Amino acid sequence: MSAVVRSRPWLLTLIALAVLVAVNTALQPSFVQPAVLQSNLTTFLPLTLVAIGQTYVVMGGDIDLSVGAIAALVNVVTVSAIAAVGGDGLTPIIAGLAAGLATAVVCGVINGVLVAVLRLQAIVTTFATGIVFAGTALFVLPQAGLPVPEAFWRSYGATLIGLPVVLWILLAGLAFALFLGRRPFVAHLTAVGGSRVGAFQTGLSLSRVRIGAFVLSALFAGFAALCLTGETASGDPLLGQSLALSSISAVVLGGTALSGGSGGPVGSILGALVLGMIGNVIFFAGLPFAWQTLVQGLIVLAALAGGVLVTRR
Amino acid sequence: MTPGEAATAAGGQDAALLDAQGVGKRFGAVVALSDGRLRVEAGEIHALLGANGCGKSTLCKVIAGTVAPDSGTIAVGGDVVQFRNPRDAEQAGIALFYQELSLIPQLSVAANIGLGREPRTGLGFVDRRRLNSEAEALIALFAGVAGAELKPEAIVADLTPDLRQIVEILKVLARRPRLIILDEATAALDGRQSARLFEILRARKAEGVSTLMISHRLDEVFAVSDRITVMRGGATVAQLVTAGTNRDQVVRHMVGDARIHPVTSQRMPPALAEPRLTAQGVRNARVHDVSLSLRPGEIVGLGGLQGQGQSALLQGLFGALPFTAGRVTIAGETVALTRTADAIRRGLAYVSGDRGRDAALTGRSIFENLVAALLVREKRRLVRPSELDPLATRHADSLNTQYAGLDAPIGTLSGGNQQKIFIARWLATGPRVLLLDDPTKGIDLAAKGDLLAIMRKLADEGASILIYSSEDAELIEWCDRVLVFNSGRIVTELAGPTLDHFHLARAAYGEAA
Ligand SMILES: Nc1ncnc2c1ncn2[C@@H]1O[C@H](COP(=O)(O)OP(=O)(O)OP(=O)(O)O)[C@@H](O)[C@H]1O
Ligand SMILES: [Mg+2]
Repeated sequence: MSAVVRSRPWLLTLIALAVLVAVNTALQPSFVQPAVLQSNLTTFLPLTLVAIGQTYVVMGGDIDLSVGAIAALVNVVTVSAIAAVGGDGLTPIIAGLAAGLATAVVCGVINGVLVAVLRLQAIVTTFATGIVFAGTALFVLPQAGLPVPEAFWRSYGATLIGLPVVLWILLAGLAFALFLGRRPFVAHLTAVGGSRVGAFQTGLSLSRVRIGAFVLSALFAGFAALCLTGETASGDPLLGQSLALSSISAVVLGGTALSGGSGGPVGSILGALVLGMIGNVIFFAGLPFAWQTLVQGLIVLAALAGGVLVTRR
Repeated sequence: MTPGEAATAAGGQDAALLDAQGVGKRFGAVVALSDGRLRVEAGEIHALLGANGCGKSTLCKVIAGTVAPDSGTIAVGGDVVQFRNPRDAEQAGIALFYQELSLIPQLSVAANIGLGREPRTGLGFVDRRRLNSEAEALIALFAGVAGAELKPEAIVADLTPDLRQIVEILKVLARRPRLIILDEATAALDGRQSARLFEILRARKAEGVSTLMISHRLDEVFAVSDRITVMRGGATVAQLVTAGTNRDQVVRHMVGDARIHPVTSQRMPPALAEPRLTAQGVRNARVHDVSLSLRPGEIVGLGGLQGQGQSALLQGLFGALPFTAGRVTIAGETVALTRTADAIRRGLAYVSGDRGRDAALTGRSIFENLVAALLVREKRRLVRPSELDPLATRHADSLNTQYAGLDAPIGTLSGGNQQKIFIARWLATGPRVLLLDDPTKGIDLAAKGDLLAIMRKLADEGASILIYSSEDAELIEWCDRVLVFNSGRIVTELAGPTLDHFHLARAAYGEAA
């Protein structure tokens, strides 16, 4: 049992999620209706995506505090690009998506180079770049606004082959995580996070691996930003401010150690869903909103303590 | 690296496989290497010897591309090379066994062995089947002498020190180098495991592969090496042919004019006092029903093959791997040893040879590493460094540890000097019972002599000492009696005339002595 949990700590997260789903359904019987599920998923999806990306950075022994700011920047770049191209049809949307995701990649490379090549401390560096990215977002779009074309948000809320698009996006994220998990990259990332010295001595290129992780993190923050854009249908330079810390909470809840070298994105997906469900349960149990943050904090604390106890065997 | 270009350094066809000249390297104020010279021919086993901190590991890391030299040239097969990283060296056919191991604790044995060169499937996925079967084939090299826990799927962090060391060896072999560099690869291996390693190296030698081995065990150096290079204080001082030299000569080169304690013990018959420590029928995961009694002033050895419960017994007594059954008394009083802090306060001290896992406060200063145990013993909460400084300095110096200053990070010390700090840490607590778990791993001859002298002095002052060593010679020379372990049980006790290599080996392999 303990060996199973040690190699798959997310099993505990899965159990917690099942319990929360059961409690939520008891409190709110309509929870299982497709429309309600879809709206819940729409709410949880951005954090889930950011958490997937954050996992790679944490596995490599770093941390990315700039994901919220990256999401905001990608959002305003996307809506601005769409507005700049103008016109109808798909062209402006595609231009917007491309500009947004390219921005994300640039942000990730900047973070990665500062941390892995210039060897600045990840927590301080991404805190600072986060401020810079947020400032740039305000520069690009000083005030919330700039509606996106109807086709954008309509397709985000639509269904595809009988399933909502948001579910397809979640499944795509999961599929990507599983795909990458079998590539050598994740083994190298685990090695870099587990022992920097050992990984270097083995001949791995530390900077390439770490920059790769930061780019993935930024890219997933970009995907989250596009989802938020689909949800709000407009630009907002202040969006996603809680994403950084919530994504780290989700990563921890999913069984990835903050010290690096273990864990994986599947757990973080579950962790993000658990965080979202806690909010739901508190809402439907009629507890004051202030409880939500408090309970989430306590649960993350418990997960951190539990992780330490497990590794101490 | 341009292997195509004409040879310039050694020239011609008699170019050595490796030729390093005038290699220098400083770390801040510390000169680790001033004039490292080394010439290894194809198809030879070459030993690199020298006292702790003389620069052996640094020279090897320069050759393997891990450390950039400040000066000097390195030529491989006659071509001058400049490695930017370990990958360059690997491509030139050089692979290094790191003294402090380069393994990733969280990964499996197979993943560690294949790290960075994983076989892939058509989709670019890691081919786990092939990864595991390649590891399996390598593990088979140590079949019969390594524990059954050594499996491709085993997580490295769960392995015992000897098995981790074997994994590091396999990782080197998996890279199929032309030059295998082993930086104290036998330090945690027992006699059979080392013998197997040397068999493998001889087989590789027949295929033209060379080995550069660093060792503080002169027996094995004289048994397997063809030539010897000796370093002292950062420079190469002698290049010898093994068959044409002897131990005395080698040791003189190693220590220069310095005085060296003879590594023998004047045995004093232990006083017939009440036992200091007794254990009756104790058990834990790896110890099955062991009873023993230690008198004050006694040095008792634990012998046998690697991993037969010797470490588990010591860790049990220290409360790190608590006993599940049996009784332990200290000075006649029954005690429950379930936490190391209790053991420390009862006057027990435990020196582990597995410094990476058990001992090092990585990233912390030498001073913090030194006084860690003392603070627990004295239940101190507040530390005034000025008060502890002289004590720390005295104990660090007692084994001639070389260090730049007490506030330097522990990682800047050479492997052997780190180990001396961990021994000194426990000497500082003035222990009544000293538990030594392969304490001499990686320390040089002079320090071994000093350690023995200190052990003798502690024993003469009334301490009891229980020591496990993977080197039989130490047990024979140092101990009053030796308890030989097999499968978690004491099978024989050897003392006096029967305490010799022959009886020890026979008892270890399970025949009645
Ligand atoms: N990273 C480092 N920073 C500072 N000093 C270092 C560093 N690495 C090694 N040194 C110093 O360089 C000297 C040579 O160390 P090295 O590890 O090469 O010794 P060694 O011959 O391998 O000794 P041992 O037998 O104890 O392993 C030592 O004095 C050590 O303290
Ligand atoms: Mg060394």
